[in-house]
Order: sequence, then structure tokens, then C-alpha cells
Amino acid sequence: MRELTFMKATLEGLSEEMAKDPTIFVFGEGVGKRGGNFNTTVGLYDLYGPERLCDTPISERGFVGLACGAAMTGTRPVVDFMFGDFILDSLGELINQVAKMQYMSSGRLKMPLLLRGCIGIGHSAATHHSGSFYPMYTHFPGFRVVVPSTPADAKGLLKTALNSFDPVMFLEHKEILSVKGPVPDGEHFVEFGKASVVRPGGDVTVVALALMVHKALTACEQLAAEGISVELIDPRTVAPLDIDTILESVRKTGRLLIVDETFGPCGIGAEIAAQVIDRGFDDLDAPIRRVNGVHTPTPYSPPLEAAVVPNADTIAEAIRELTAE
Amino acid sequence: MAIPIKVPRLGWTMEEGVFVEWLKPEGATITPGDQLYVLEGEKAAQEIESIDGGTLRLPPDAPRPGQTVPVGAVLGYLLEPGEMPHWEAEANRPRGTREVGRQAPRRQPPGGSGDSTHGDGSEVGSPRTAALVATSSGGRRPAISPRARRMAAELGIDWMAITGTGRTGRIRERDVRAFAEHRLGAAHPTVSTAILVEPHSSSGRLVPLSASRRTIAERMSASARTVAAVTLTSKVDATNLVSFRNQFKLAGDSSDSLVPSFTDLIVKLAAMALKQHPLLNASWRDDGIFYSAAIDIGVAVDTDAGLLAPVVRDVPSLGLRQLAVETRRLVERARARRLTADELRGGTFTVTNLGMYGVDAFTPIINLPQCAILGVGRIVREPAVLGDQIVPREVLTLSLSFDHRVVDGAPAARFLDMLRQAVEQPAPWLVP
Repeated sequence: MRELTFMKATLEGLSEEMAKDPTIFVFGEGVGKRGGNFNTTVGLYDLYGPERLCDTPISERGFVGLACGAAMTGTRPVVDFMFGDFILDSLGELINQVAKMQYMSSGRLKMPLLLRGCIGIGHSAATHHSGSFYPMYTHFPGFRVVVPSTPADAKGLLKTALNSFDPVMFLEHKEILSVKGPVPDGEHFVEFGKASVVRPGGDVTVVALALMVHKALTACEQLAAEGISVELIDPRTVAPLDIDTILESVRKTGRLLIVDETFGPCGIGAEIAAQVIDRGFDDLDAPIRRVNGVHTPTPYSPPLEAAVVPNADTIAEAIRELTAE
Repeated sequence: MAIPIKVPRLGWTMEEGVFVEWLKPEGATITPGDQLYVLEGEKAAQEIESIDGGTLRLPPDAPRPGQTVPVGAVLGYLLEPGEMPHWEAEANRPRGTREVGRQAPRRQPPGGSGDSTHGDGSEVGSPRTAALVATSSGGRRPAISPRARRMAAELGIDWMAITGTGRTGRIRERDVRAFAEHRLGAAHPTVSTAILVEPHSSSGRLVPLSASRRTIAERMSASARTVAAVTLTSKVDATNLVSFRNQFKLAGDSSDSLVPSFTDLIVKLAAMALKQHPLLNASWRDDGIFYSAAIDIGVAVDTDAGLLAPVVRDVPSLGLRQLAVETRRLVERARARRLTADELRGGTFTVTNLGMYGVDAFTPIINLPQCAILGVGRIVREPAVLGDQIVPREVLTLSLSFDHRVVDGAPAARFLDMLRQAVEQPAPWLVP
């Protein structure tokens, strides 16, 4: 199978869908000729022109409001926020309008928005450019929240998003944009709410998302040499969350660790833990553990930045600790 | 603070032992280092030394001599001067404070009754009762994971008797499994005995399993279950070996000169052959085959308490007389049941001699995790063809059982052939 980078894969998915569906257009800062800050729209301006690759002023609340109206009136806006942190500037429109509109209209209005932004800690991007916030979006009814980890998943989930009638938060970790991986030729879709078992194992279940899938995989390989067999699960979407696959794995292993780069309190790990305790209590042979990034604004200093995120060693250590429980 | 005296793990796989007796009376003042009690572990009874000091006090439900106790069970307490044991303090507490405890049926704490841990199952309560009772017994309730609790319920196991290996002593699934397997292993002989005995139950005699008997049974069945055992036998001309030994006999007029036994001679020759064939000096492990650098040979000894195989360390470095002294020491200690767990641990090969009972060849059971065991038969005078003449020769049969998982037939046969040659021409091998 051919190999593409994560970003090339999503670009291909977006271009394929734009070619098929003339109602798809992209809104954002520098998405036109410039091709997007993270090269999310490179080359599309030449293919689809200025109307469908529409540069906006620096006013998130304004252009999200526009996109909301555009979706209500029958188009498919793709809002490219560049850094996911800037989504926060449009939360009023998103939560109060975009997420609620289908319910408010008894389903008469569809809200097929794709809201994409780059997330995660790295490259000394400091605290205004390192946020993830996906657990927060799962809190509100109405959003689909996608956090892919591989090029193939990214393309398949993006194409699914562009065929969905719900608003989709599509959050791409900026430290894996250049990661290469096999991507199937032709049409490739990945269903929402279907976790991927990245690596089967029998001793411990580890749930990880985005960049942490890659870090956890390195940890799994270290631990395999020590005789600890880890089953690694990537939920791929956190809303909807495929709790069944996690429960099935815990039924086998009796142990669960959730690795999540973003903050622990009220996070996705807390949600997964609560659901597993609720439905899989008798399968647990040990307490559920979490590994999270430090609960602090992200520092600029490279050594401090490295200290606030989980890495393969800290994940491996947490797994060892959990097997000793 | 009262210091509990807990049943220690004397061997790697020990799960329970027999509390034999106290060596100090109740109320005695114990200083660290005192020999406190005798505990029978997997094979040997040991005097256990006190690590701590204090006044020895036994709770009313303390194990009685002869009772089976799980590892970690509390035998008694060491108290500080003037300290009141908790059971007396509890008895003196004003009425009303123990209401909740009184509501629930009382039960014995872990280790309170040896029979409850592996008996006929009659004491195994429903999980609901167990949980209820466990809560009511307060501070003594062992922590157990939900998964382990469910497994215990499925297997009908009273988990109060299980020692947990999780952090903070939590009982985990693996502990319940290990306990169940152990009980199953122990139950099998009982069941088969019962079946055999039943038609004649009025005239027979049922001997409860001792810890040693149970260990032997577990080891033997584990070996029979897991090992791909093959036995090779070889008839060997031992005439020279007999005359070699006779020279010791004839020279041995003073009392301190010990005549090495045939077992000693074979142990020494086997060690020399193992040096040449290290493939047989191996043990099976889950992660691979371990080839031991040391040659430590277990010698099977028949005792009143059953079969024991104390280990002679580093046999190649021992002279024949040193070896004879060492095996005699180990045999005496085995018969007196004074062997330490260390003296039984870690052999790399075993020699078992049934020659004195007129046995020629047999199929010895491999002593796991070792790879091989050598059975020694009797020495008989037999007519043999030497050149063109029929002459009387001393003939011995060697039986080598080996684990085909660890080593193949040809290397095992080469080892046995070298041993045959060594027995036939022993002097070059035995004289340093």
C-alpha cells in the first residue's frame, strides 16, 4: 500500500469530497492561496477557486456564525481554525447555535459543518497554541469529536465527516502531521464510534488518542521484551465513544490505563473510567489508572514543555505499576 | 503496637504449611533471634526465628499444633510490656459498640481453621455470605479486586483464606487461580483414595495428607502432566566400579575413612559426564531453556515422611571422600527431617538409586524444572561374553529419564553412553 503523511491524507480526502460535492467550501485564515498554516488546503485554491477556498478576517466568532448560517441554508462549510486553540473564540456560536440547531428545529435543519483545527503540545508553541480541549467538546450534546492518530484513519474519518449531517470537530495533533503511514487507494471511509485495536495483548488494556497512540506503541514494544502484553486501543472518535471495544478488552485483561495528553480533571480518561466501572466493574482486577499531561498552561521552555507531556517511558512505567497492582 | 507473627513463605511455591509447635510458651518474653516455633514447609520442618521482640500472646482462635496454615496467617502476637491484646480489649469494650459485629455470624479469621482452606468444600459459603461476613470482621478483611471476587464465587472459593499478592496485599485474579489450582491438585489424590477405599471403608484407614505428601503429589503430577518424558536404559559392566569401591573397603581400617556408596560414585561420574554434556544440565523455563553453569545434583532419599532430594552443591569440585561426607550428612538430616529449604533447592540433575531393593530398571519421574534424572538399579553378577569366553561380570542397569522438550534423544543417548564408559572404566574419572 502507498504511504502518505497524515496531512497529505486529509488533503486528499478533502479534495476528493470537494470534487464530488460542489456545496463544500473552506472558510479560514490563510486557507486560500497560502494553502493553510498547516498545509491543510495546499493546491486546492488552484483546483476549486477563491469562492470555495475563502480567506476570512481574524474573527472566529464572526466566521463561525457565517458558517452556521451557510450550513442551515444547505451548504457544507469546512471551518479551518489553524490552531485548535482559536476554536475557543467561537464557542458561543458553536455551543449555543451550531450544536443546538438541529434539536431546535426538530431535525428540519441539518448542520453539516466540519470544524477542524490542530491541537497538542510540541515545538515550543507555548500555551496559546498547544491546547487540545476535545474532552470539553464531548461534554456538549450535538458534536461529533474526531481525534485521529494515523494517516489512513485521518482520511477515512475526514471523508465520513464530509458526509455527516452533524457538526464534526476534527482535531489533528500537530506533532503527527508529518507521520507517514499506509493509506488505501480509492474511496476510504472510517465509521465514527468504532475504536481500533492497534495492538492485541492480554495483560493490560491501554487506551490512547492521537500522538499518545504512537508513544504508547513504543512503550508496548519496550514492555513486550519484559513479558508484559499490552492491548492498545485507539478510540479514534471520542464522541461517539466506542466503550464496547474498551469493555471487551478489559474483560480479557482486567486492567485499564488511559493515556491522554490533555488535562486529567473531568477529562476523557475520567469519562472512560466511569463508564468502565459502571458496566465492567466485575472485570476489573486493579484500579483504573490514568496518565495525563500536567494540569497547567503549557510552558514555552523546551525542557519544561517536555516535562508536562507523557512520553514512552512514563507510559511504560505506569503500565508496569498497574501490572503490580 | 502488637506485632503479628505471620506464617512465612519458606519456599518459592509455598502456599501453606503445617504449624508444628511453639518453642516458647504463651506469655514468654521473646527477644529477636529466639527460636519461636516450628513450621513444616513444602518438604522440611524448620525452626523459625523471631525477628521482633515482645511478650508472646496467642488469640483464642490461634492455630493449634498440627494445623495447616496458609502463608500470611497470624499465629500469635508479640506485645509491648503492659499492652492488652486486642481480643481482650474488645471483650472489655462496653456493650453497644459491637452491635453490627454481633448481628452477623462469626467466622474464623484466615488461617483459623486449616480444614477450611482445602477440605471437602463444606465450609465454602456463598459469595454473598462471604462478603457479608468479611465486612463484619472489620480490620481483618483482605482487599480483593472485583474480578478476583467474581472468580472466587464462580469457583466456590472462600477468598478469606487467600493471601493476596497485589500491592497492599490485595487479592488478585491470579491469586484465586493459584489457590484453586493448588486446591485442585491437592484434591485429586484425596478423591482417588476415596474411590479406592469406598467399598472397604469400614476396614481401611484414611490418612490425612501431610504438607510433604501433598507437595510430593503436586510435584509428581505436575511433572507427569507437563514433561515430555522419555526413558533410556543401558546395561553397564560395573565390575571395575565394584572393585574400585572394594579398594576403599579394604583400605578403610580407621574409623574416619568413609567408604563412598555406589550412589556417591554414580553421582560423581554423572557430574563428570554432565560437564561434557551440558545439554542435560538444563532446566525448562517459560522464557527459554536455562543451562546451569553449576552442577548441583539432587540425591533421592527415602524417609518416613516421604521422598526428599537434598542437593549436593558443585559436585565436580568435591573429592570422593568429601562427596561421601556431604551425602551422608544430607541423608541423615533428611531422615531426621532437619533439612532446610535451601538444602532442597536448586538442583540441576537428580540421581535416584533403587538398587538396594533389587530393582533393575525403572522410569524415574523428572524432578521439575530439571531436564533429567538418572535411575540406578541393582548390581548383579551375570554371565557375560568377553572375547570368546563366558565370564561372570557385575552388571548394573542405568535408567535415564529426560525431558524431550529440553533436549533431544541423541544428545541424551550420548550422555548415557559416556556415563556407561565412565562406569566401566571409572578410575580416570574419579581420581583427580
